[in-house]
Amino acid sequence: MNSIMQDIKFYDCRVIEGSSTSVVLDNGKIEEISRNFTKGAGIRALCGGSWGYTAVEGDINLKRGVGAASKLAFSMNASTPKEEVELAAISSPEVKDLPEIKIDPRDIAIEEKVDLLKSIEEHAKIEGVHSTKVMYLESEFKVEYQNSEGLECEYELLNVGFAVSAVASENGVYQAGRESRFGYGYELFEKENVLELAGKAGKTALELLKAKTPKGGEMPVVLDQELAGVFAHEAVGHASEADLVLEGDSILENRIGEQIASPLITIIDDPTLHEFGYYPFDAEGSESKRTEIIKEGIFNSYLHSRETAAKLGGTPGNCRAQGYSMPVVRMSNTFIDNGDSRFEEMLAEVKNGMYLIGSRGGQVNTGEGIFQFNAEKGYVIKNGELTGLVRDVSLSGKTLEILNHVTLVGNDLKMTAGRCGKAGQLVPVSDGSPHIAISKALVGGA
Amino acid sequence: MYELAKKALKMAEQAGAEEAEIYYVASRSTGVNFKKDALENARDRFSEGLGIRAVVNGAVGFSSTNSAAEIENAVKVAVAEARVRGNDPDWVSLPSNGKYPQVSGIFDKKVEDLELEECINYAVELVEGTKEIPGTLPTSGGFTRSKSKRLILNTNGIEIEEESTAVSGFVDVITVNGDTSTAYDFAVSRSLDIDFFALGKNASDLALKSRGGIKIEPQKTDVIFHPFAFSDIIEEAFAPSIDADNVQKGRSGLIDKIGEEITVPDLCIYDDGLVEAGIETSASDDEGVPSQHTTVIENGVLQTYLYDSYTAGKAGVKSTGNGSRSSYTSPPSVGLRNFVIDYPQDDIIANTSSGIFVNTIIGAHTANSISGDFSVEARNAFTIKDGALDKPVKSLMISGNAFELLKNITGAGFDVRKVGGIITPSIRVSGMSVIG
Repeated sequence: MNSIMQDIKFYDCRVIEGSSTSVVLDNGKIEEISRNFTKGAGIRALCGGSWGYTAVEGDINLKRGVGAASKLAFSMNASTPKEEVELAAISSPEVKDLPEIKIDPRDIAIEEKVDLLKSIEEHAKIEGVHSTKVMYLESEFKVEYQNSEGLECEYELLNVGFAVSAVASENGVYQAGRESRFGYGYELFEKENVLELAGKAGKTALELLKAKTPKGGEMPVVLDQELAGVFAHEAVGHASEADLVLEGDSILENRIGEQIASPLITIIDDPTLHEFGYYPFDAEGSESKRTEIIKEGIFNSYLHSRETAAKLGGTPGNCRAQGYSMPVVRMSNTFIDNGDSRFEEMLAEVKNGMYLIGSRGGQVNTGEGIFQFNAEKGYVIKNGELTGLVRDVSLSGKTLEILNHVTLVGNDLKMTAGRCGKAGQLVPVSDGSPHIAISKALVGGA
Repeated sequence: MYELAKKALKMAEQAGAEEAEIYYVASRSTGVNFKKDALENARDRFSEGLGIRAVVNGAVGFSSTNSAAEIENAVKVAVAEARVRGNDPDWVSLPSNGKYPQVSGIFDKKVEDLELEECINYAVELVEGTKEIPGTLPTSGGFTRSKSKRLILNTNGIEIEEESTAVSGFVDVITVNGDTSTAYDFAVSRSLDIDFFALGKNASDLALKSRGGIKIEPQKTDVIFHPFAFSDIIEEAFAPSIDADNVQKGRSGLIDKIGEEITVPDLCIYDDGLVEAGIETSASDDEGVPSQHTTVIENGVLQTYLYDSYTAGKAGVKSTGNGSRSSYTSPPSVGLRNFVIDYPQDDIIANTSSGIFVNTIIGAHTANSISGDFSVEARNAFTIKDGALDKPVKSLMISGNAFELLKNITGAGFDVRKVGGIITPSIRVSGMSVIG
């Protein structure tokens, strides 16, 4: 064992302990109240160019874990040796300015939470809505990080949030409206007008029933803040993740310093914002910091872990993991920065096209730079005015073409909380944008 | 922790539960992953935990933990939650009287005993396979093996323990010269019968053939969906509507359709927890109900929805053995077992004069799971001309509706593939709307 440890040039451990509560209310009935208590650790060891990783759930013997990960790294390096991995240097992070929590959700009785959900649900169940679901989530966890360089740090975080969905049907057609908010502290439920949001979910479902399916094709579009935020995250953010760049799976490889977007476009990733993707330091102990991915149309920076920062040159701080999984390069709070246009100007600019609103998810091929997102709904723009509501609309195209076809950027930036999946792991993120106008995009419909 | 499962069941009764259930899982997995053509890391994961369902006055509380020290607390929390919920008139009871079928092929000692060096070799085979096709490079991928042990106990006398294994290989490739295109291939199995070299080679071959894609005019045409593409649509746009929970809550497009012809008459669909060596095969479902073979669609006619014990009790029918959990941290809900698509097979591409062949799709998860509407981006698609694949298509949107699609099936290939739990051949659908 000792002989192996001589070849291990780096190791680190993340111990995570926490609990979560979820309550699900379905059509007025409590469908689920569950609590989960967890403890576990993720341990990395580096030997030459190979990583060994051990994840252990339950009660942990760190020394044994480090030994197991080291053995994996050592064996990998022995059987398939390759170029040594270097890690960019970091200093001890300053853990400061954590999101303030005014009302601790743990001080609120479960009965009160259930009552809140019931009133949220009542507001979603407007006439014509025949099915509703409300979910409450609360999680608290403590992360303790230490590595072989002597770095030690820790923080605790507590999240709360809710999601409501309403379904309406007519003549065998079903449509759903959804709203959700996530944040820190139970005061979220006072700050956000949750009952109004619930009503909005109900109204959306009803509206969509009456909506038409549009004719698809190439046309100018306006994207709302949520859909434009999804574009910033999925199409641009992922392609700027340095691990994908190193895999040769990004169209942004070797593009730093180049004009890749309209000069109106600035895209930022900022884990220090108290949005849902907040963290004081990442899964390698690197202090969080703001990154300008695109600055006024010029591609400025990848997002890095310590390993990718050493390889490509850059600053680490975007290495994250779900629970005890192996950390990878991830985004945090990603957004298109405000411009100065008003929504009305955009409609006038587009004249005839489509206003696409909200997102039902999407996917991206970062290697080829193409994407596809489904909007929740849209409006046909005719002669610069919003006309009929449409549904089942999607937006697809080439990331770089869309970035260059942006003609106006609004001044109404809004963030939306969500979870991002990569490498089989989900981490909390937020993304956002102001409204943006694009001169040409492929809209999918019936 | 395993030893504590029975004790936890007793604790729940002592804490006031009228019925209780312990769901315990322990698993170990090893993964060897590569980035580009170099092995990057090896990972071991040890996971063990249990979930507790406690029933008080017809209401269920749930909690879970992976720490032995927290079990007692978790049991108490589950009982307390049940009390908060209040009586649920639809609750009948936890399952009882499990008489279990024999299933085979789900545990392979060789998988459990694999040494790290052997795992490394399988990962190397994936990479070597890609090198057979010059002009391509893997971007990422890996080999994984896992072994798990599951124990389900309840106060109605259910006690079932099962061990299973799985191996999988995944490879993502990109072309290196000229026009960029990508492709992937993967396989999952209960034992070591996967040709990892062939997976790598197939992915590279497909990426290379997809270069220089043409643009096509928007049209309605015959589309053949490869098992990867078809299983995605089935899972996201059709399966949610046969989930009894969605049906009971008004969130299904198939409410009141039992006994009606909803697809082409030659189509049969089975949900089957007993398939030899199936990825979703086991003697019982995740709440101890015996697994079974369920005919969902027989010659086009919808026969049944899929039930776990709760939705079955609510509907006054028997559970179809579809109680499913993603982990010990969640209570059961309705989920597919092995889901078998059966349609008369023929030489499907050769019998198609013109159309599109689609290998994979992206965006299926954005489908409207109630209405069945979907709009997806086709990847590695090719035109079909005179019974053969002709030219690659660069970018292609396919929009449609899963229920309409099942009414317009006109053919199935011989290429049946297990895509996780979904077992399907390539399927041809006429009159699909595509935008190039």
